[in-house]
Amino acid sequence: MKLAILGAGPGGYVAAIRAAQLGAEVTVIEDGEVGGTCLNRGCIPTKAMVASSEALSKARELEKFGIELKGELVPSLAKIIGRKNKVVSTQVKGIRSLLKSWGITVKEGRGVLTSAKEIEVRTKDGNTEKIEADKIIIATGSRPAQIPTFPFDGKNIISSTEALELTEIPKSLLIIGAGAIGCEFACIYRELGTEITIVEMLPRAVATEDHEISELLEKEQKKKKIKLITEIKAEKVEIKDDGAHVFLSDGKELVAEKVLVSIGRTLNSDNIGLEAAGINRGSRGEIIANNNMETNVPGIYAVGDVAGGMLLAHKASREGLVAAKNVMGISAAMDYNVIPAAIFTSPEIASVGLREHQAVKKGIKYKTGHFQFRALGKAHAMGEISGFIKLIAEASTDKLIGAHIIGPHASDLIHEAALAMKTGLTIRDIAETIHAHPTLAEGVMECAEDVHEEAIHVPKK
Amino acid sequence: MNPEDIRYHLEHTWVRVSGKKGTIGITDYAQDALGDIVYIDLPEVDSTVEANTEISEIESTKATSSVISPVSGKVLEVNEDLSESPEVINEEPYGKGWIAVIEIENASELEDLMDAAEYGKYVEEESK
Repeated sequence: MKLAILGAGPGGYVAAIRAAQLGAEVTVIEDGEVGGTCLNRGCIPTKAMVASSEALSKARELEKFGIELKGELVPSLAKIIGRKNKVVSTQVKGIRSLLKSWGITVKEGRGVLTSAKEIEVRTKDGNTEKIEADKIIIATGSRPAQIPTFPFDGKNIISSTEALELTEIPKSLLIIGAGAIGCEFACIYRELGTEITIVEMLPRAVATEDHEISELLEKEQKKKKIKLITEIKAEKVEIKDDGAHVFLSDGKELVAEKVLVSIGRTLNSDNIGLEAAGINRGSRGEIIANNNMETNVPGIYAVGDVAGGMLLAHKASREGLVAAKNVMGISAAMDYNVIPAAIFTSPEIASVGLREHQAVKKGIKYKTGHFQFRALGKAHAMGEISGFIKLIAEASTDKLIGAHIIGPHASDLIHEAALAMKTGLTIRDIAETIHAHPTLAEGVMECAEDVHEEAIHVPKK
Repeated sequence: MNPEDIRYHLEHTWVRVSGKKGTIGITDYAQDALGDIVYIDLPEVDSTVEANTEISEIESTKATSSVISPVSGKVLEVNEDLSESPEVINEEPYGKGWIAVIEIENASELEDLMDAAEYGKYVEEESK
């Protein structure tokens, strides 16, 4: 089986390794660097920067921890970016060596389908090469979406890609879009000292999360003096000597050194030869694939961002695994019911399953439990008491249908809930599982107890 | 001891009246029950508030609670010092820990509030 994979991001490279493990002869075509957006311009570099900003935040609180600081804390963005680049390059090397160990060929260049069985690769030095394959997986990902009135210039008007490459801390940053990306950068740069204003069209920050999560994030951002303007549209921008002048739909004008546009992502389904292969796309440009990740053209699969749905690396990877199996004749289907997601704001956010407003909309009878991190000894010991855990259970079955966490290590804590949902556990099962003390995970247990109003560290209601 | 020159609300807030202005804050009982205060979400100057509704949210190491305004009116001033040092509320709930100054809209609302002696008894009952 000759398999060609277009794109070596978390969808493509994972599919490549699994297919190779199953005996395929795999070629991966990558225009940029292996690891894709996730590793080079997304998840990992932002987390490296989050780590620097968290280190700074902790350092500012040293006295609270009984440590005297003699001298000044001076963040250097150039060095922070340098560390980030090192983290990324280490991971890139790691993936390269993994691919090599499985005998996978990596072709550097831009791949375009010329038929359902052939890809033309244009390398950087201008050569072209044809790769024939029995089957193809398309995993070309996405890129920052651009607003026509705010064209990226890489200097004053930037995307998340450039926000990861700045070498001087901007004095002020206006962020358009209070989604996951906008809010993550708001927290990172605010900690470094940048004045932040976020402009959001929707009524709340991280609008796809449970409303209580949005509310607390907004409050935590307010504490940090991150300014959030909701239900307002940024209409146009003029670059002047003193920075970018942004005009809002309510007639106001804001001035900032830089404007970060983080309104979403555009799928990379253009100019990759979908027409030549006869592959169908949906209304948002997504390649339409079934639950086996196969497109309308037999033998051609699509995974990750380019296949639409949630723009998450781990969703892409799982789709890659499913596609690889099907390529190799092992039947597999994607299950989209339980996909946890994390946002690395300060504090962190993580969620899985239904939001409360979705449960209401679906007419599900449910119960909720709430538990504040500040009720945990461990949270106090760590000095991180902001945030809460919220669990939503179906009233009739006691099964967990949604979990929402904002607070320390939310992204690690969510997986207990994901596993419970995946395996159909009840709230009682979680509550009756002994959780080690002292941990943040005790909060999940107490929150489960709270669904039945039996939490120990919650005062009588 | 609870000062004599202020009026008290059932939700453990107080107002000190001077002409049309009322300075409000939380009581000593409230600060003690909350424990170490770590943050207060101050109201915006020029916003208006209704008596018996939330004017601000206060966060302690134990809990997050609403601060209920004892009077209605426009917020004239807020205690900005609290954003840097919210612990002042613990230290001086009736003094430097004031939260906001309200332009009192309806002086009759003051009659619904308790004096120091009544509040003292009320708190005694509550803590039984």
